[in-house]
Amino acid sequence: MQRLCLAAVTFCAPAMADTSYPLKAHEAPDFALHAIAGGNVRLSEHRGDVVILSFWGSRCTPCREQLAALNRTLATYRSAGLQVYGINVDDDQTRALAYAHGESVTFPLLLDPEKSVSRSYQVDNLPMTLLIDRNGVVRNVIRDYNAKSEELFLQQLRALLNE
Amino acid sequence: MQYVLSFMKAWSRLLLLCAFLSVPAASFAQAATKPKAPAPAAAPAPAAVAPAADAPPSTDAAPAADAATAEAAPSAPDAASPPPDTRGLDQEVQGLKKDVVDLNRELFVLEEELLFPANTQVAVFVSMDVGDFFALDSVTLKIDQKEVINYLYTPREVEALLKGGVHRLYLGNLKVGKHELVAFFSGKGPNDRDYKRGATLKFEKGIGAKYLELKINDRQRKQQPEFEVKDWE
Repeated sequence: MQRLCLAAVTFCAPAMADTSYPLKAHEAPDFALHAIAGGNVRLSEHRGDVVILSFWGSRCTPCREQLAALNRTLATYRSAGLQVYGINVDDDQTRALAYAHGESVTFPLLLDPEKSVSRSYQVDNLPMTLLIDRNGVVRNVIRDYNAKSEELFLQQLRALLNE
Repeated sequence: MQYVLSFMKAWSRLLLLCAFLSVPAASFAQAATKPKAPAPAAAPAPAAVAPAADAPPSTDAAPAADAATAEAAPSAPDAASPPPDTRGLDQEVQGLKKDVVDLNRELFVLEEELLFPANTQVAVFVSMDVGDFFALDSVTLKIDQKEVINYLYTPREVEALLKGGVHRLYLGNLKVGKHELVAFFSGKGPNDRDYKRGATLKFEKGIGAKYLELKINDRQRKQQPEFEVKDWE
């Protein structure tokens, strides 16, 4: 029975993950963005770490829930080499700043006012979360946030951290 | 034309080497795995990083291990025989890998020479000294009124600049004649205030590569940073 369940999860997982994302299995486009807390962040400086990029907007409620969940995930896996970045895509940055100051998110929230990074990552849904492996390759994308997708996401994250 | 020919020649050499490399690598892998007994099916799975203890330990693992050892037993005399010496093969593979790396470097240089020929090449570098009065955040570069790059510096990059590093900010092509370069430096100035300053240089591009340096210095007397564009003749 256990084997059956395991096989079901193994076969269902790729089906639930989005296979149509064009950047999947390709090198993640490099970028440098301003962080709300100050300083700049460049993706290529984090080769060797597993990186989660989460595109979010301050009007999107699931985005906020996901950022809180990512905060918990980071607290658990930081020591295993995990980096999390939230990339804000709001036109009006004051809402993003208000959110950043109000919430106790421990990872850097980055601003993408010109949407150049969002365009290069072909963001078509919010929240949209990317998993990037230690070699800088996009391994998976999750275009939705709910309990089911979070569980799947954590499975994939653990697999990447174990690689 | 000469560059194109040598570029193509280098590419064909690289492809040939890759083809050669794949053959010994495969045979090496085969040789390395051949003498071994069949891998125990129930080798302990690598420990999950997380409380991945979600999956309970499988109870079917033990019988599988027994079966594997039972299968491996008749092949015990094979395992006792000395493994073939693969050191020579390994050295050969390492040599080929080195050749690939050398060729790759050669290709990079050729590509750069093709894209940025010496007679039109312009390179702009950034350097920083001391940095007590200025914490660099970004540099925007305009050549002939046209923005060519806007580069954000991360704390690591700034640290590298402060240690004496020089960053190649821009590499491009310009025709012979007079040109104007404007650089805007953004960051935190004295007393942690937002600070933005510009520096301009009018220069003449002749035949041959042109190298320009954007220097950020501290001026102790004025307690202010100083921005300078230096033309390397």
